[in-house]
Amino acid sequence: MTVPSQAKGNKILVLATESCAYPGADSVGQAHSTYPTNVYILRVKAPVLFPERFYLDCFRKGIAGIIVMSCGEECPYDGAYHALARRLDRVYQAMKAQGMDIRRLRLTAICTVCNRAFLNEVNQMNELVQKPAAGEPGQENG
Amino acid sequence: MTQAKEKEKQHATKVGVYICHCGGNISDHVDVEAVRRRLEKVPGVAVARTNMFMCSDPGQELIAEDLKNGVVDRVVVASCAPSLHETTFRNAIRRAGANPYIYEHANIREQVSWVHHGAAATEKAATLVEAAAAKAGLLRPLTPIRVTAARHATVIGGGVAGLSAARDLADRGIPVTLVEKSPCLGGQLARLDRIAPTGERAPELVRALADAVLNHPHITVFTDAQVIATDGYIGNFKLTVRQEVASEAFTGTEACYIPFSGMRPAGPSPSEPREFNLETGAIVVATGFRSYEPRQGEYGFGDFASVITLPTLIRKMAEQDTEGSFLEIDGRRIRSVAMIHCVGSRQIPGIHPEDASGRLNEYCSRTCCTATLNAACRIRETHPGTRVYELYRDIRTYGRGQEELYEQAARDGVVFLRFEPDQAPEVVRADPTDGYPLKIRVTDTLTFSENLEVPADLVVLSTGMEPNDVSDLVEMMKLPVGVDRFLLEVHPKLRPVEMPVGGIFVAGTCQAPFDVGETCNAAGAAAVKAASLLAEGHVELDPFVAEVDAERCKGSGACVEACLNPGALALVEMQIGGQTVRRAQVTPALCLGCGACVAVCPENAIDVCGMTLSQYEAMVDAIVADQVAADALR
Ligand SMILES: Cc1cc2nc3c(=O)[nH]c(=O)nc-3n(C[C@H](O)[C@H](O)[C@H](O)COP(=O)(O)OP(=O)(O)OC[C@H]3O[C@@H](n4cnc5c(N)ncnc54)[C@H](O)[C@@H]3O)c2cc1C
Ligand code: SF4
Repeated sequence: MTVPSQAKGNKILVLATESCAYPGADSVGQAHSTYPTNVYILRVKAPVLFPERFYLDCFRKGIAGIIVMSCGEECPYDGAYHALARRLDRVYQAMKAQGMDIRRLRLTAICTVCNRAFLNEVNQMNELVQKPAAGEPGQENG
Repeated sequence: MTQAKEKEKQHATKVGVYICHCGGNISDHVDVEAVRRRLEKVPGVAVARTNMFMCSDPGQELIAEDLKNGVVDRVVVASCAPSLHETTFRNAIRRAGANPYIYEHANIREQVSWVHHGAAATEKAATLVEAAAAKAGLLRPLTPIRVTAARHATVIGGGVAGLSAARDLADRGIPVTLVEKSPCLGGQLARLDRIAPTGERAPELVRALADAVLNHPHITVFTDAQVIATDGYIGNFKLTVRQEVASEAFTGTEACYIPFSGMRPAGPSPSEPREFNLETGAIVVATGFRSYEPRQGEYGFGDFASVITLPTLIRKMAEQDTEGSFLEIDGRRIRSVAMIHCVGSRQIPGIHPEDASGRLNEYCSRTCCTATLNAACRIRETHPGTRVYELYRDIRTYGRGQEELYEQAARDGVVFLRFEPDQAPEVVRADPTDGYPLKIRVTDTLTFSENLEVPADLVVLSTGMEPNDVSDLVEMMKLPVGVDRFLLEVHPKLRPVEMPVGGIFVAGTCQAPFDVGETCNAAGAAAVKAASLLAEGHVELDPFVAEVDAERCKGSGACVEACLNPGALALVEMQIGGQTVRRAQVTPALCLGCGACVAVCPENAIDVCGMTLSQYEAMVDAIVADQVAADALR
C-alpha cells in the first residue's frame, strides 16, 4: 500500500497516553494556552497498541502529522516504551521506503504538567505540515 | 469482526449525543447549537441534545430518560475533561439500568473551548464529537471484572494521619497493619508542645491516639519498618515489609511515651532484621513531612549559635518550661527574640537560590505563620520581659481561631515588621557597644520602607514543610508527584484522597502542608474511602482488558511473546469444532490492558475491550471525513 508523500490536509493526530500526555493536554487547557486547531488528540492507554499499519493508514487517509505523546520512561507498563520505540523505527523505515518525510511522525514524552513541551511539539509539527517539506515531491502519488 | 460487519453494527446502534454548555465555559467559544445540528445528521446518531450543565441532575436525567425510553443505546457526552466526569456519566447510565461501558467521552472544554476560539473552535468540537460518536457506535456492553478483595488495609506512616486513618479503618471492622519507619508513633506532632489554635498539649494528643491504635484488636503495628516491595492491584496488593532491629533506647516491655520522639510500642523487637509479606486490599500512604533545613548562612543559620529554627525553639521552650520575666534558652537570658517568617517556603525563582538538586519551594507551608504567632504569644505570656519581633512577608492565619492569635500577639506587644521578598532581612553580628550578640537589618514596608535594626539575643527561623523523601514508594507504586514534590491526588476537589492507582489513598502532609485538624480530615476521608472499597469483599475493575476472538486466532503465540505482564496471556489447548487446538487466552485480572498484544497479532484476533483498533480507526475516519468529502468534490 502506498501513502501520499504529501498530506491532503493539515490535520495533526496526537496519540496521548491517558496517564501522562492526555492530562498534560488538559493542563494546557487549564492554563488557557492556545495552539493550532488542526490538532486532534486521541486518548490511549498505551500507544504500543497500534500496529505499524495504523500509522501508515492514517497518513493514507489524509492525516498530515502524527505525534505519539507517551509517558516516556515513566510509562506505567514496563517494557511498553521500548516496544513502541522499536515499532516506530519500523514505521520510519516504511515511510522512507515510500518517500515520505519522516518528520511527520514523532515520538515524544509529555508529562501531566509539561505544558511548554506540549505546545512546542504541536507548534513544530504544525509548522512542518503547513509547508511542503523540502526535498519532497509536491504532488500526491497515492 | 469483519469491517463490513462492524459498519453494519455501527449503524444498528442508536447513539445519543449530549453537548454541555458548561455554563458558558464551552458555549462562549463553541456554538453548541451548531454542533448539535451537525451531529443530528450523522448516521447512527439517534438524538443530539444540549444542556447548560450535563453533570447536573437535570443533565444526567436527559441521558437516563433517553435510555429508559429506548431512544438511545449508546451515549456520548461532550463536556469537560474525562478525568472529571467520565465516571459521573458512566454511573448515570448504570443507574438508568444500562451498561456503563456503552459510553464515550468527548473533551470539548480543556481541549477545545479553553484553547481555541471562533468558528474554528466550533468546527473542531463538532469533529471531535463526531469521532466520539463513531467510536460509540462500535462499543459493546462489557462486564466489569470482579475480583475478591483482601479485607485488610495497610497504612504507611504512623504520624497523626496514619494513626487516625488506622483507627478509623479498624473501627469499621477492617484489620489494619501500620508500618512506621521510625522507632516511635506520632510523627512530627510528637515534636511539638502546645499546638495552635487550641493550646492543647501535643504529647497528650499523640498519646491518646497511639494508645487507641496500640490497644485496638484489629491493628498490628510495626515500627522501624518499611515497605520495600509492592506487587498486585486493588484489592490484592502484595507488600514486602522489612523491619530493622530497634536500638536499645527504643525497646522496652511496655509502651512508653518518649518526649520529642513519640510513643514507643511495647517490645519485643526482632533480634535481627526480618522481612515478611502482607496481602492487603488497600493502602493508605501517610508518610508526612520534614522540616526545611536552612542552608549554611541562610539568615546566619550555622554561622551564629543564636540562630535556630522554630521546631528547635518549640523543643527548648518545652524542655525548659519555667516561668520568669525572661525566656531562657541554653542558660542564656533572652531579652529580645526576632522571628523570621517564610524560611524555605514561598521561594521565588531569581530571588532565592535553588537547593543542591535545583529545586525551590514555591508553595506556602501554611502552618508556620500560626505556629510562629503561637510561640510568640506564649513567650509574651510566660516571659513578659522578653521582647518579640516578627519579620514577615504576609501573615497567613487561615482557619478558625487562627486570626485571633494574630490579634492576640498584636495586643500582647509583639512588634511586626514587614519585608519584601527581594529585600530579605540580614542577620549580622552586632557591635560590641550594642549590648546584644546579633542585630537584624530590615527594610520595613509598614513604616514606608524605613531601614531599621532589630537587636536580638535569639533569631528564630520559621521553617516550612517539605515532603518526606518517598521516592522508593513513588517508584514502586507508580504514585504521581506534583512539581512541589508532594504526592498528587487524582483531583484536588472531586477526588482529593485518591491516587490514580486504584486502591491507594493518600492522607496528611505527604500530600500538602496541612495543620493537625486538616490532616485528620484527610485521614478520615482516606479511611472511609478504603473501608467502603473493602466492605464488599470484592472489587470491580474496569473491563478494559485484552480479549481474544477465538474464531480468528490461529495460535501463533505472537501476542503471548509481546505481553508485558507475565501470566496475563497464555496459549492453552481447547476444543474448537471437535478439534484440539492451541489458542491464546487472557487472564483478565492480570491483564494491564496496554494492548502490546494487539499490535502484533497477524490475524487481528486480539483487541482491548472498550478501545479496539477498529474503534480508533473509526475515530480517525471521522477526523479526516471533511477532507475526504472535499476530495470527492474535486
Ligand atoms: C514547627 C511546626 C509547628 C506546627 N504547629 C502546629 C500547630 O500548632 N497546630 C497544628 O494544627 N499543626 C501544627 N503543625 C503541623 C503538624 O505538625 C502536622 O499537621 C502534622 O504533624 C502532620 O502529620 P502527618 O501524619 O501528616 O505527618 P508526620 O507527622 O510527618 O508523620 C509521618 C510519619 O510517617 C513516617 N514515614 C515517613 N516515611 C515513611 C516510610 N517510607 N515508611 C513508613 N513510615 C514512614 C514518619 O516517620 C512519620 O512518623 C506544625 C508543624 C511544624 C513544622
Ligand atoms: S504560613 Fe506564613 S510563614 Fe509559612 S510559608 Fe505561609 S506565609 Fe510564610
